[in-house]
This record gives sequence, structure tokens and C-alpha cells, in this order.
Amino acid sequence: MDFSANHIGFVIASYALSVVFLASLVITTLGRDRKLRAEAERLDTQRKKARA
Amino acid sequence: MQFLANPTRFLRIANAVLPYVWAITVALFAVGLYGALVTAPPDYQQGETVRIMYVHVPAAWMALFVYTVMALASAVAAIFRHPLADVAAKTAAPIGAVFCFLSLATGSLWGKPMWGAWWVWDARLTSMFVLMLLYIGYMAIWAAIEEPHRAAMVARVVALVGFINIPIVKFSVDWWNSLHQPASVFRMGGPTIAGPMLWPLLVMGLAYALLFLALHLTAMRAEIAARKIRQIQIAEIGDR
Amino acid sequence: MNLILALIKRDLTLTLRQGGGAGTALGFFLCVVVLLPIGIGPDQALLARIAPGALWISLLLSVLLSADRIYQQDYEDGSLDVMTMGPVPFEIVALAKSVAHWLSTSLPLAIAAPILGFLVNLEPAAILPLAIAMVVGSIALSLIASIGAAVTVGLRRGGLLVSILVLPLYVPVLIFGLSASQPNAAPGLTAASLLILVAIALAGLVVSPLASAAALRSYLK
Repeated sequence: MDFSANHIGFVIASYALSVVFLASLVITTLGRDRKLRAEAERLDTQRKKARA
Repeated sequence: MQFLANPTRFLRIANAVLPYVWAITVALFAVGLYGALVTAPPDYQQGETVRIMYVHVPAAWMALFVYTVMALASAVAAIFRHPLADVAAKTAAPIGAVFCFLSLATGSLWGKPMWGAWWVWDARLTSMFVLMLLYIGYMAIWAAIEEPHRAAMVARVVALVGFINIPIVKFSVDWWNSLHQPASVFRMGGPTIAGPMLWPLLVMGLAYALLFLALHLTAMRAEIAARKIRQIQIAEIGDR
Repeated sequence: MNLILALIKRDLTLTLRQGGGAGTALGFFLCVVVLLPIGIGPDQALLARIAPGALWISLLLSVLLSADRIYQQDYEDGSLDVMTMGPVPFEIVALAKSVAHWLSTSLPLAIAAPILGFLVNLEPAAILPLAIAMVVGSIALSLIASIGAAVTVGLRRGGLLVSILVLPLYVPVLIFGLSASQPNAAPGLTAASLLILVAIALAGLVVSPLASAAALRSYLK
């Protein structure tokens, strides 16, 4: 890869944009998954305790 | 389909499969990016700018593929009434929208140096833009209707009508383009693409596909948890 | 059949008695056609070139503007609930209401458009093809508007959503409608575009009642 080529900024920008968007998508998806599963687990055990 | 319809079984399989899917995704990205940025030669016409293709084309492929997944899931939901199919369609939409946006944005970044304009009303660009609108409309329906069961039913209609519309738009835009622009614009890629440029593209395409699979399974798992929370909360209100 | 006619007649009477109806859409149409030359300047050649496109876009937007009236009132006062239980299949009810919308709003606009074309210097040779294309296209537009209206009927702020949902469906109608309105295009092209426009309208005739009825049912449950 030649970093002194014409229009190299556009190439870097498109890779950067893709990385930023995909990475934030991965982070939000994983974060939401972790948060919601922990919450569901907590409510579930709480409910079982209340029943017992 | 029937086999996966059971949420518990789905979760068991998803939990087992997900680590491997993530691992393969990372590996494919490593290989694909190495191929795209290091081994692939610059194009004799486009120079280094051709490297945008390796992030642009897979994003465009996935944008179309994800909408197909969404429409299929909606059809399954409408015919067999599997709640999991609605979950699959709902969670696929934001991922597809990101792919669609990235294909538009990187295409624009490629178009500026190549065509001299950020945006050209070319047939492909116009169809992609319409696809983006379809994604936005679909997600807006889920956001606007509070009751999940009702939202699911309306969203099915939106997804399926949109799916019927895609080929019609493609056809009409090609027609319109041939009327207004007799000379074709320089196209990205093309059918005769050399081997050293082809394999990184295919590996990147596969990497994007697996990234979608990993994200989709994770998002579905999260959505199932969200519904469980809702059910428990409703049950608690009922207990009081 | 009589029941269906009664439904259409009821909707037509309602829109006519309440005013609004075609009036609002026609007023909007007139606004665009009058404001456009003022906005872009009185250059006759330029106006003649953009006239068919401008008229089509005004038609599209006017129909979009009136879309929410197809089901809104009947949903709010409960008439739609009654209609789901009637002897007429609900898909046919949706079709009847789309037809009523077409007769009361889209068709008058499609007929008025070529006449208003004089204001934007529409060439005389284009009047007939434009009129034919618009009458056919307006059927498709009403059917599409019906889907948009049905999908958002229970939402308080459905306006923006209708536009986003309907715009992708309008694109093909606009393209083929416009291409069928060009009098001096290559021979056969106008006819071919018109036939495709007819095909879109026919496809809408099948898809729209199914989709609208499915969407309405989910709100009525």
C-alpha cells in the first residue's frame, strides 16, 4: 500500500468509517445483550425467591 | 425452521455456536484486510482508491442479503406465527441499516475522487438509497408502535411490501437511468476482476457475512431476554 | 357487490359533505403549480422541459397529503371494527376504500393536472399522453397510499412515517409515469412505459388490499 498516492485520504476515510461504525455496532450489540441477560436473570431469581 | 422455532433450543444452539462464529469472523477479517491492504495491487486506472472496494462491495452485498433475511423471517412469521421469526426480522434491521449506510458512505468516498461528485444519481446509488429508506421505515414502525405483538404484525406487512418493491425499483431505476444517461458511468469492479484482487474481496465478503451472523445471533439473544423481562414485569403487576 | 358499492358510495358522500377531500389536495396541487414558476423564474423553455416532472411530483405529493384520510376517521369512530365483522371480506373493504379515495381525490387531480399544465408551459402534444398516464398512475398511487395509511392508522404522529414508507413505493410509479408522458420519445417507449404502469397498478390491486387489511387488522385487535 502506497500512502503517498493520490486520494489516499478517501481510502483511509472509508476504512476508518467502516471500522468505527462496525465496531460501535458490535459494542452496542454485545453491551445490550449482556445488560438484558443479566437483568432477566436477576428478575428470574428474585421471582423464584419470592415464590419459595 | 421448525427445529429452531423453540426459543430455549435456539438459545442453547446460539450460546454454543457464538464463540466460534466470533473467532472465525475475526480470523476472516484479519486475512481479508491483509489481502485488501497489503497483497492486492493498486488498480492501473483507479490507483490506491480501488481499495475502497474491499469495504464497499461487501457492505452493499450484506445490505441486500440482510433485507432478504428480514423479509424471509417476516414471511415465516406471517405464515407459521413463530414469535422467534419476528425477533429475527426485528434484530436484523439495524444491522442491515448500518451495512446499507456504510455502502452508501464508502461509495460516496469513492465517487468523489473518481466521478468528481459525492453523489451521482446513478441506478445503483438510487436503488441503494431506496433500500436505506426501506430500512428506516421498517425500524420506525417498531419504534412507533408500543405494543410488541401489534408492532410485529404491522412490521411484517412493511417488510414484505418493501421486499416486493425492491426488484421493481431496481428495474425502474435502470430504465430511468438508460433514459437520462446514455453513456454508462465507470463502474466499480466489474466482471473481469483479477485473482489477486478477487480473493481479498471474497474473503471480506465472507467476513462481513459472518459478522452479520454473530451480531444477529447476539441481538436475537438480547431481544429474547428483553421479552422475558417484559413478561416477568407484566406477571408481577398481575400478582399484586 | 351491492354492499361494496354502498361502501364506496358512503365514503364518497362523507368526503364530499365534509369538504376537504379533493379540495385540500387540489389546493395543494394548485399551490405547487403556481409557486414553481415563481420559484425558478419564468423561462418558457425551462418550464416546458420540467413541466411533466413537476406535474407528476405535485400529483404524488397531493395524494400523499390526503393519504391519512382513507382510514383515520373510520378507525377512530369504530366503523372499521364493525366492517371487520360484516359480510364483506375485509380485504374488499380496504379495496373499496382505496377506490373511493381514487374517485374522490386522485382521479380529479389526474384530470385537472394536464389542464393546469398550461400554467407551466406544458407542450400541447404532451397533454394527451400525460392525461392517460396520470389516470392509470393515480390508481397505483391511491392503492399505495392505502398501504401507507393502513400501516400508520393507529399512530398519533404517523405523518413522517407515511412519507418514509410510501416514498420507495412511489419511485417506480414516478419513473414509468414520467416516461409514459413523453410525447417525443423513441417510438414504442411511451407505449411500453404505459403498459408497465398498468402492470404496476394491477399488481397494486392485488397487493394493496391484502397488505392494508393485514395492517388494519393488527390495529383493530
